[in-house]
Amino acid sequence: MARVLTIEDDAVTAHEIVTELTRRGNQVDWVDNGTAGLDRAVGGDYDAITLDRMLPGLDGLAVITALRDAGVETPVLMISALSDVDERVRGLRAGGDDYLTKPFAPDEMVARIEVLLRRHRATDRETVLRVADLELDLIERSARRGGSVLELLPIEFRLLEVLVRNSGQVLTRTMIFEAVWGYHFDPGTNVIDVHIGRLRKKVDPPGLPPLIHTVRGSGYRLAASE
Amino acid sequence: MLRLSDHWRSATTRLILIYGAFFVVWSIVLVGVVYWETNRYLSRVVDEIVEQRARYLTSIDRTRLPEAMEATGALDLRGVMSLGLFDASGGYVDGNIDSVPADLPPDGVIHALPQGLDRRGRAMREPARGLAKRLESGELLVIARDTSVIDQVAVILRHALLWGLSLTVIPGLIGGLLLSRRPLRRVREIEAAIEPIAHGDLGRRLPVSGRGDEVDLLAAIVNRMLGEIERLIVEVKGVCDNIAHDLRTPLTRLRTQLHRLQETGGGEEGFAPTLERCIVDVDALLDRFRALLRISELEDLRRRGGFGSVDLGEILRQVHELYAPLAEDNAIVFRLESEVATKIRADPHLLFEAFSNLVANAIKFTPNGGKVCVRASMEAQGPRVDIVDSGPGIPSGERDAVLKRFYRSECGREISTPGYGLGLSIVSAIVRLHGFRMRIGDNESGGARVSVQCWIDAMAAEHASR
Repeated sequence: MARVLTIEDDAVTAHEIVTELTRRGNQVDWVDNGTAGLDRAVGGDYDAITLDRMLPGLDGLAVITALRDAGVETPVLMISALSDVDERVRGLRAGGDDYLTKPFAPDEMVARIEVLLRRHRATDRETVLRVADLELDLIERSARRGGSVLELLPIEFRLLEVLVRNSGQVLTRTMIFEAVWGYHFDPGTNVIDVHIGRLRKKVDPPGLPPLIHTVRGSGYRLAASE
Repeated sequence: MLRLSDHWRSATTRLILIYGAFFVVWSIVLVGVVYWETNRYLSRVVDEIVEQRARYLTSIDRTRLPEAMEATGALDLRGVMSLGLFDASGGYVDGNIDSVPADLPPDGVIHALPQGLDRRGRAMREPARGLAKRLESGELLVIARDTSVIDQVAVILRHALLWGLSLTVIPGLIGGLLLSRRPLRRVREIEAAIEPIAHGDLGRRLPVSGRGDEVDLLAAIVNRMLGEIERLIVEVKGVCDNIAHDLRTPLTRLRTQLHRLQETGGGEEGFAPTLERCIVDVDALLDRFRALLRISELEDLRRRGGFGSVDLGEILRQVHELYAPLAEDNAIVFRLESEVATKIRADPHLLFEAFSNLVANAIKFTPNGGKVCVRASMEAQGPRVDIVDSGPGIPSGERDAVLKRFYRSECGREISTPGYGLGLSIVSAIVRLHGFRMRIGDNESGGARVSVQCWIDAMAAEHASR
């Protein structure tokens, strides 16, 4: 069970975040201002923090800056009504790990938090990633399923890498697009679906248990079982 | 309709009154100087005459004095000379005055005698200048001359001043007030013309007299502004209509599905499939709102922070990579013909978004088995990108309109295709922001050709900075 701190001044949004994260088995604490939020974040030993960009008292950017200055490396998901690319860059530069604009779909928020929780635990040092009988060699940039080598295009390899790195997690289409292509806009839902579809044909050939699962209404998840 | 207070507030009236007051003061000063100079001159003339008489009368023999005095008196036709000879004790000896004036000391120097002298045979005293001189015989000789001439000159000048001022200032003021009425009347006309505009009749304009004066210039400026406002209001209204139209369909469908769910409880297949469809509809709605917000965000964007040197060929390659599978799934031949190796100044994120939208649009409107080609070529001023498809094309009458926010083509392109109208508006906003130019045309196969000139177009740049 992960402990999540929610720093959010809007009660409705906070309720939404707390309910959704609690439902997924996290223990969530909520504070409604930046100053108290910073105190809790420094002393509370949390696994992840959701941080509103605009807060009464201490502003979200100031909180994250102070937090990183204090040496606290808890992953932070910035949640903001400011959707401008500049704002995103500012938030991430200040030390935020991910940036989500309001209003957001709850599953998108949960998916991002879970990726952050996972990233915190995992180390990026590994050069070979494994999920079930799928194996990704990051140095050779090759992939095999079972014994056979998968013929992947570079873009397909990058896509698979993102899925494998976050295996077991739900990734929304937006998250996949951001992670693989590095752009922040809405490319239209079916573009990503088509890419996943082609990858799926190669990764999950008939006869083998599927690894890439569609999460209805949300996105995709790579895991050994449903 | 014109009140006096309006007149006073009018700039012309105020100027005329201030100028009038200045004119009056200046005239008074001028006439005063003339009077003062004349007075000095005439006094000197009087003094000279008096002194000359005095020299003559004191120099001649005492015995001939009464005779000389009489002769002087006889010569004085206008009767302005006063002469008197008095003994040592002040008793009358000879002449036309009875007594020595009290304010005239016997020092032989000319003094002003504002009280005048007692003249024989004259009831009135006239102001005069004169002197008293003691003769060797001990007698006192008094000679004076009236200064009534000087006073008359003063009167003439005063009259001249009064007449002059009344003949210039009064007609001047009246004329000025009349003149100030005209601009004021024009302002009233403008006020009357503005009334309906303020109440929403944006088609009206301010009256322009055609004389090209200040009021005309102002009216022309306001009319230009009104034209721009009218255009914007019409555009906003069009956008509102389109948005309402566009959102009604998915919302109605959503409502129908929810209603059916309520009625049947999901029926045999249960809630899940209908709910899934509802979520898809809501997602489509949200996408549309997101696109709308994105457009206004782009239109507000005045920053150049994200700008840098961008490899256009690389951006196009990424776009191709992103959309190639989608095209292939639709059995569309999607080719990239890029011969551009130069870098351009742009925001890579926005540029990628723009070309993605163009390509997505082209794929969306090209029927299965068709062709989409992204072609980058070098022109004299810079690189040009053409996105050519074999779809139905965009009717020439609608090419400008599709670049506007949330436009929906009435024919040619399928209305049921979601998201249409926003993609091109986003691209248009991005292209404008860069100062580039976008053209929509057709190609040999009858499909659409969208060309983006990736160099700063002077006119487009000016538009972007506005």
